[in-house]
Amino acid sequence: MNPLQNLVPPENLAQIGFAAVVTVTFMGALIAVLPRNILYNVLGLALSLVGVAGLFLYLGSPFIALMEILIYVGAICISIVFAIMLSRPLHLSLPKRRLPKVGLALGVGLLVFVILGAIIAKTPWRRAPVRSADWSTATLGNYLLTRYDLVFELISLVLLVAILGAIIISGYARRRPS
Amino acid sequence: MNSLTSYLFIGALLFSVGIFGLFQRRTLIGMLIAIELMLNGASVNFMAFNRFLAPDPIIGQIYTLFIMGIAAAETAIALSIILALFRTIRSINIERARELRG
Amino acid sequence: MISSWLQDPTLIAATLAALTPFAAFVLIMVLFRPYRSLAAGISIAAITVSLASALFLLVRHWHIERPIQYAGKWLISGDIFIPFGFLLDPLSLLMLTIVATISFLVQVYSLGYMAGDPGFSRYYAFQSLFAWAMLTLSISPTMLQLYVFWELVGLASYLLIGFWYEKFSASEAGKKAFVMTRLGDIAFFLGLLVVLLNFGNLSILEMNSPAVAERLSSTVITVAALLIFGGVVGKSAQFPLLTWLPDAMEGPTPVSALLHSATMVAAGVYMFSRIFPFFSNSHEAMAIFLAIGTITMFLSSTMAMVTRDIKQVWAYSTISQLGFMVMGLAAGSYFAGVFHLTTHAGFKALLFLCSGVFIHQYETNDMYVIGRQGGRGLKIPMICMTVAAAALSGIWPLSGFFSKEAIMGALAAHHNPLWLGAGLLGAFLTAYYSFRLIFLILRPKAIEEVHHEEHGGHAAGHGAGHHHAGLYWVMAWPLIILAAITVVLGWCQAPLEHFLLGGHGVAGEHGEGHHAWVLFAAVGLALSGIGLAWMEFGRKGSAQVGFVERVPPLRDLFANRWYLDLLYRRFLDYVIYGTFSNLFTRNDRRIIDGGIDGLCRATVESGRLLSFLQSGMLQYNLMAMFAALALVALYYFFS
Repeated sequence: MNPLQNLVPPENLAQIGFAAVVTVTFMGALIAVLPRNILYNVLGLALSLVGVAGLFLYLGSPFIALMEILIYVGAICISIVFAIMLSRPLHLSLPKRRLPKVGLALGVGLLVFVILGAIIAKTPWRRAPVRSADWSTATLGNYLLTRYDLVFELISLVLLVAILGAIIISGYARRRPS
Repeated sequence: MNSLTSYLFIGALLFSVGIFGLFQRRTLIGMLIAIELMLNGASVNFMAFNRFLAPDPIIGQIYTLFIMGIAAAETAIALSIILALFRTIRSINIERARELRG
Repeated sequence: MISSWLQDPTLIAATLAALTPFAAFVLIMVLFRPYRSLAAGISIAAITVSLASALFLLVRHWHIERPIQYAGKWLISGDIFIPFGFLLDPLSLLMLTIVATISFLVQVYSLGYMAGDPGFSRYYAFQSLFAWAMLTLSISPTMLQLYVFWELVGLASYLLIGFWYEKFSASEAGKKAFVMTRLGDIAFFLGLLVVLLNFGNLSILEMNSPAVAERLSSTVITVAALLIFGGVVGKSAQFPLLTWLPDAMEGPTPVSALLHSATMVAAGVYMFSRIFPFFSNSHEAMAIFLAIGTITMFLSSTMAMVTRDIKQVWAYSTISQLGFMVMGLAAGSYFAGVFHLTTHAGFKALLFLCSGVFIHQYETNDMYVIGRQGGRGLKIPMICMTVAAAALSGIWPLSGFFSKEAIMGALAAHHNPLWLGAGLLGAFLTAYYSFRLIFLILRPKAIEEVHHEEHGGHAAGHGAGHHHAGLYWVMAWPLIILAAITVVLGWCQAPLEHFLLGGHGVAGEHGEGHHAWVLFAAVGLALSGIGLAWMEFGRKGSAQVGFVERVPPLRDLFANRWYLDLLYRRFLDYVIYGTFSNLFTRNDRRIIDGGIDGLCRATVESGRLLSFLQSGMLQYNLMAMFAALALVALYYFFS
């Protein structure tokens, strides 16, 4: 049993946890966009993605949360770090910030947020009449290999093509003879 | 706090922050990071629908899985493009890439 | 249709008369330009066919009672159609014969005159063109067809006046002729439109019928008559459009003989007589025509008294005689005007052709130089020219006497004696200037006694004898024929009158009977004119200076054509070019061009402004995209 059960009721704990997760997410997001140092941005991204994994947990899908951390943080962020390391942009001069551009970006961002928010608030979201209660991972695996098999295979193909494309674009084949 | 609209607002906010970063960053890698944020915002949106509205809660998770897969592929390609562009314009500032300037 | 055409000899003759010269023109222009003799042969053959057809028609229909009209539908649009065809009545047959005869004689004469000219074939092609146009004009059944061929005749005139186009003055003269006659033709066309709109059709027979007076108000008739007379003013060189005709003497002399004395300029008078009944409906218009004719006659007679150029004398004389014809017609005598037209064609062509022989021989137009070089040695031209000048002055028994008397009679019958006085004065002046020329050539002064230096004309090459005899006789025979006609034609007055008036009953006054004193007055004045000319020019030891030339201001006034040309030049320069052209040029440059340039500049500038959007920067594009997306979403979700 929860040692803190008498001090903090379970629902409140959940709420505090939720608030923490959301805070982490947004702090990570802000670190990802505001500072000028690229490494800070990548680390902020990683933080934000961890927060999003927590959100997925709260949304009832531990598997996806785990996948999030594995794929996004573990693979994607690391590859971005690799790219930063390999291309060494830190040695080059950091571009200066320009205020009109920032202002414009802020404006458009706010615009989009406001409109999205309005849509969210105004739409009468209807839940489906019949909802299944099966949240298990086994069912997820089953669906992945039976009903959504085609999409699964396509994703693999896309990944293959992406890797090949990345190799070609980066000119690995061309660098060989020199 | 545990309602559909709050999760949707979180997703929308993540998306907007991603947009802000997309327009504001001056390096391509910075823009890529912002794009990842946007994708995550969309994923949060899907998962929220999955949790609260969907008839079959597996579907949203599969969607999110696929978004992740696509994001990985996209990141690979984007990084190689950034490397190629970097070699051409010799700078990480994308405002140098102005060949389409009219 | 062909079979019905073949069965009617009149129609065949009319078609041949009108159309063979056109075939000749096409053949020469298209195929035979390099072959000079062949071209001349084709042209003369065509005009011979026309002449034969015209004589055939004249003889066959001598006792014609009602006009014969052939009309086919040319342009058809629903109920409206424009007819094309032939109208054969005494007047048109007579004109047909006159034109064919003079054309034939002139074309034969041109064989000698134009021999050796580089544009020989072109000359004959244009002669055929003119013959076609003039012949078809004569037998046109509707005013529209007449107008079409009127313009064609003007075209042929332009082409022939400017025949030696390398010479600047010749091409200028051609242009001047065309433009001035065109001015008259505008009025002509407006008049035709007035008639068409009010009356419904332009058929000549219908216009001459009494139906016109019933259906149209007198104002409309007067306006139409005045406008149509504009065509006469232009084509027949009446005042104020008379200055083109003297300049038209830049063309070859046979052309002057054919077009600008006998036929083309007579087309105006012909048209007048063609719709004489129509014009007679309006007394005000006739009075105005009478005035214009008189002014023309008087002005051009004065201009002829001071000129040195042999062709110019006859040009002014033509204008004067045309004015005289107009006077006769406007005074009410249809026959008098037409008769004078006929006789004038004969002796004026003769005068020009004789002058042509002198010009061809001595290569100068100046009568003083011709006289001094022994012009009177060329016997046939000299005799023929004297005969023709006498006819022009109205001496019995030549044709001019009879026709002038007819006109004087008509003028005498008019209630206002002013016109008769003007006519008589004109007779005096005519005799004076004609015989001035004759005496200058007959009795030239020797070189040392001459006051004036030679100026103008070409460099006088001494005409050493004749050119080889063949060419001389080719030129001489037409002269002889025309002289014979001049002598004989006057005696044909009665049969002609019967021919012209008998079948028609056209109203015309011929008050010859009780105005015998007019006869004697006219002849007397003519003889005194000749006498004055002899005293000033022909007598031994005379100074050879006319009484007008002794008064320098008067001489300058006449020599400058009463400053009409100057007036026109000033008008053109200050009013037309100075004001209107200026205005239109400014409008074109500033407003139209400026507008378009401004449009272009605006487009370029706006492009430049819009190009700021295309900064080539990725993020701005993205911003624009997302903003647009958001706004679209806004619109769709909340509209």
